[in-house]
Amino acid sequence: MASLDPRVNRLPAIAESVSPKAPLDQFGTFEVFVQPKEGKPFQHEGIVHAPNLEMAYVLAKEAFTRRFTCTTLYVVDTREVFASPMTEGEKNSYDFIEDVPAEGGAKVSFEIYHLTKRGKQHMHVGSVKAGSPREAMVLAKVKFNTSKVVYNVWAIESDKIRFTSEEEKELWLTLPEKKFRDASDYKGGDKLKDFLERQN
Amino acid sequence: MSIALKELLYKMADDQLILGHRNSEWTGMGPLLEEDIAFSSMAQDKVGQSLALYTLLNQLGESDPDTIAFTRNANQFHNCVLVELPNQEYDFSLIRHFLFDTAEALRFEMLTRSSYEPLAQLATKIRGELRYHTLHANTWIKQLGSATPESIGRLQKSLDYAIPYALGIFEASPHEDDLIKSGVFEGEQKLKEKWMAKVESIITQTSLHLPDWNLAQPLFGGRQGKHSEHLQPLLDEMSEVFKIDPTAEW
Repeated sequence: MASLDPRVNRLPAIAESVSPKAPLDQFGTFEVFVQPKEGKPFQHEGIVHAPNLEMAYVLAKEAFTRRFTCTTLYVVDTREVFASPMTEGEKNSYDFIEDVPAEGGAKVSFEIYHLTKRGKQHMHVGSVKAGSPREAMVLAKVKFNTSKVVYNVWAIESDKIRFTSEEEKELWLTLPEKKFRDASDYKGGDKLKDFLERQN
Repeated sequence: MSIALKELLYKMADDQLILGHRNSEWTGMGPLLEEDIAFSSMAQDKVGQSLALYTLLNQLGESDPDTIAFTRNANQFHNCVLVELPNQEYDFSLIRHFLFDTAEALRFEMLTRSSYEPLAQLATKIRGELRYHTLHANTWIKQLGSATPESIGRLQKSLDYAIPYALGIFEASPHEDDLIKSGVFEGEQKLKEKWMAKVESIITQTSLHLPDWNLAQPLFGGRQGKHSEHLQPLLDEMSEVFKIDPTAEW
């Protein structure tokens, strides 16, 4: 007998044989990095869901840079991000990266990011030329590991990133004039105060 | 010359205001969160662009922007009919966004060379917004126009429906010659030719098909105040708060 609850009736029937697990019907994620000012490092802001890299770029622009001023952004498929072990306290993530012999073969550019405060964003620190993400981490350890504790390191192959072209930088041309998108610009408290005063 | 210039500014401003309002109806109902935000932001850009154009009209002796935007009836609006049509499904909204914004970006690009300096300055200033709007539209059309039989079929149906209305964007002004001779604007015919070439360059990268331009019949009338039954209800809703309290702030 069918249930009186329509939600129960919408449940899929019990499979009669072994079947492959159905993939989730949702888009993959892409990481978004924003440069707040010219000359400042790019910082990780979050993710967007998208069917591909170009769509991710288009959707990231308004999802992450519609309010606060910035110069530009770029995006990369989450699967292209390689991360070191996450540490805490006084433990430096670089100490968990084992030195490996330099690899032969073609070298490509990798962008390197540090997380130096838990709860904050990963910040771009520079790039290295390496044959693999693992080698990139080892080279980054030599080049960027200073006395400051680094809790997490990311390495991303530069060619996998959808950068903003010089021409496209004009996408953010009028952003400084859109202060009205900032919640503080509504001055809700002032409006409420005026309203209450008018009532009295 | 003043009449010709005002007519040009009115039709451009009205296009932006009405489509901005229509597109804002998707806020909170977009097909995915990121797209909801992007489409809403672009709608806001369009309303902002209409304000800039109404401000130019105000400087030419017309009423203030709020009065122009909120107190006219449908037959006093000069927008093309395409922008006032109901949103329907997202496929139609995307196709309209693609067809209209391609024309609008090209129009403003031409106007960066306008002899009317305030308009040339505005066109230069908002080029980044227009670049994003066309990048957004082109990317979606290329994506869904090549994805699944359902997405291709739905976009094609909307494209076939929208093309006659889109051709209505280029309804010639009675002052066309004045605008061209004075260097204010290079004219609707030239804009249409650029638009057809640009639209073709995107559509040929998809599984979609354009109609034979020679057989497509434009639906004119909007520029002369002849609108569909959909515009007046939109205006009534848009001006509802203003009519209750013209000094209201929110």
